[in-house]
Amino acid sequence: MDTFSYLGQGFGVALSPYNLFTALCGTLIGTVVGLLPGLGPINGVALLIPIAFALGLPPETALILLAAVYLGCEYGGRISSILLNIPGEASAVMTTLDGYPLARQGKAGVALSISAWSSFVGGLMATCGVVIFAPLLAKWAVAFGPAEYFVLMVFAIVCLAGMAGNKPMKTAIAACIGLFLSCVGIDSNSGVYRFTFGSLGLADGIQFVVLVLGLFSVSEILVLLERTHHGQKALDTSGRMLFNLKEGMSVLATNLRSGVMGFFMGVLPGAGATLASAVSYMTEKRLAVKDNKFGDGDLRGLAAPETANSAAACGSMVPMLTLGVPGSGTTAVMLGALTLYNITPGPLLFRDQPDIVWGLIASLFVANIMLIVINVPMIKIFTKILAVPYWALVPAIAIITSIGVYAVHATAFDLFLMIGIGVAGYILRKMDFPLSAILLGFILGGLMEQNLRRALSISNGELGILFASPITWGVWALIVLMIALPFYRTWRKRAQRKADAANA
Amino acid sequence: MSQRIFGVVLLLACAGLGIVAWGYHAPFSYEPVGPRAYPLLLLTLMGLGAIYLLVKPSSSVSQDDEPPLDRHVVRKVASCVVIFAVYAALFEPLGFIPASLIFGIAMARLYEGTWKTSVISGVVLAVGLFVLFDKILDVPLPLGILSSLEI
Repeated sequence: MDTFSYLGQGFGVALSPYNLFTALCGTLIGTVVGLLPGLGPINGVALLIPIAFALGLPPETALILLAAVYLGCEYGGRISSILLNIPGEASAVMTTLDGYPLARQGKAGVALSISAWSSFVGGLMATCGVVIFAPLLAKWAVAFGPAEYFVLMVFAIVCLAGMAGNKPMKTAIAACIGLFLSCVGIDSNSGVYRFTFGSLGLADGIQFVVLVLGLFSVSEILVLLERTHHGQKALDTSGRMLFNLKEGMSVLATNLRSGVMGFFMGVLPGAGATLASAVSYMTEKRLAVKDNKFGDGDLRGLAAPETANSAAACGSMVPMLTLGVPGSGTTAVMLGALTLYNITPGPLLFRDQPDIVWGLIASLFVANIMLIVINVPMIKIFTKILAVPYWALVPAIAIITSIGVYAVHATAFDLFLMIGIGVAGYILRKMDFPLSAILLGFILGGLMEQNLRRALSISNGELGILFASPITWGVWALIVLMIALPFYRTWRKRAQRKADAANA
Repeated sequence: MSQRIFGVVLLLACAGLGIVAWGYHAPFSYEPVGPRAYPLLLLTLMGLGAIYLLVKPSSSVSQDDEPPLDRHVVRKVASCVVIFAVYAALFEPLGFIPASLIFGIAMARLYEGTWKTSVISGVVLAVGLFVLFDKILDVPLPLGILSSLEI
């Protein structure tokens, strides 16, 4: 029953007028950020951090703002997917497959409302999941020592590569680059300056806001150059705006299945919303035997990814809050924000600062309700925003990004660093490296090194401590499993190809 | 091919950084690991990854929807980077508003706005964002040459 009293306390925080207003702003900003090309949840959240600081928001309010933006992005991403066939952000890619055909058939209104409803169901289910599982995990995680943490973080990194599907090696390299970048700057244990090459600007390490905005905003701006066009004509949203009961019932089973799946994919470190939406779409496609119209406008094909990505967005809060290990790129940014506030997420957060944790969880409920309420009537306004041409949009994003970077330290050095990182990010992206792996590596890197060194200090340099407790054995087993996964997948693909060749 | 080039560059970078990292040692140490081991471990892993790329570059780059590069795009990307760099260089000496004005116009032109629309959007962005961030959201921005005007 503890959970309920804490949750009540959380609602007390989330429902204070100030926080309610913040959540409302966050959901609106998030929806717009999600639907605009060039801005996704990761850089949207990162841009708000300096602003939250400048406004002097208390940590729980800042976190509520960031979480509302994150959820809002998952809602907003679907609008451009459905109306333009361009995903507003990565996790909305699967939404285009059935959403755009539906809009072409003149059912844009139905598609938008059913996807909003699906996002709502997914978010709600996953938030309930957070309420149930997060305290359990936190209680269990109190027993974690530095060795367990280190192994857990290795698992997070390996998980990232193992779940990456077609390019495990590139993901692993990207994660290593991120881990390495976190070494730059003064080493807090010994005071040695590492990889600064005499530059004063790097002495403090690379600021994570600079890294995030360089990787995700600047590189995206460069990518947008390739697709220069003068805004796109969105499909018309005339006709029925709301889905009817029959349509609602037809996707209910899909909603429930995808919600559960999305939540657990979100909890797994590194998997995140993009993968969750893809997997749930594929699963539903396979499960749908009766009038399977997947790919040309099946409501289930729209509901599955939308439910899953919202569920995953909420689910990824679980490892962030309980373990301090982010479940997705965006929660990695939120984790970074918490560290800026001098709050270390982890199991102790539940005990020491219940206001922050439960306020955040309660605000997930609140933001979800706000989003479904504002999304249906305001859809016309949001579609207007889609018509903004690039020549007005991109300079605005670029300048706001620069302000965000400058606001951290007020040095022009950070601006140059951001440009450098952006160019590197652009090249990596061209080479098909996943940028979010770099970000996760960067956020985990510092924690990982600290925990490793702490663990080895305890054991006086004996590596055996990393294999000493049952928890570490369990996690090592999972690590081995995750490393084996890509190999198994290639092997199976090869076997299949051989079988196909034999049949032909 | 580009995969292999990248592999070589990454491998060389790892080697170079490894040599740099080799020199790191704490003058007096309280712990057994020291500042050197962890970066070296990562560089080794990254180096192995680079070797893998050299030996077995993936052929399916076309998997993702990133369109292929051509000369025209490369020129545009390069000019975009130059505009960005100039902006960063002017940000403090000129101040936010003049630098953003120049940057906004140049960027809008790059994204195929006409001169008229570019100038309008540049002015609106430079002034509007200054008011929004500096005045309303309390993010301090440099005034530069306009500081005598005491806005």
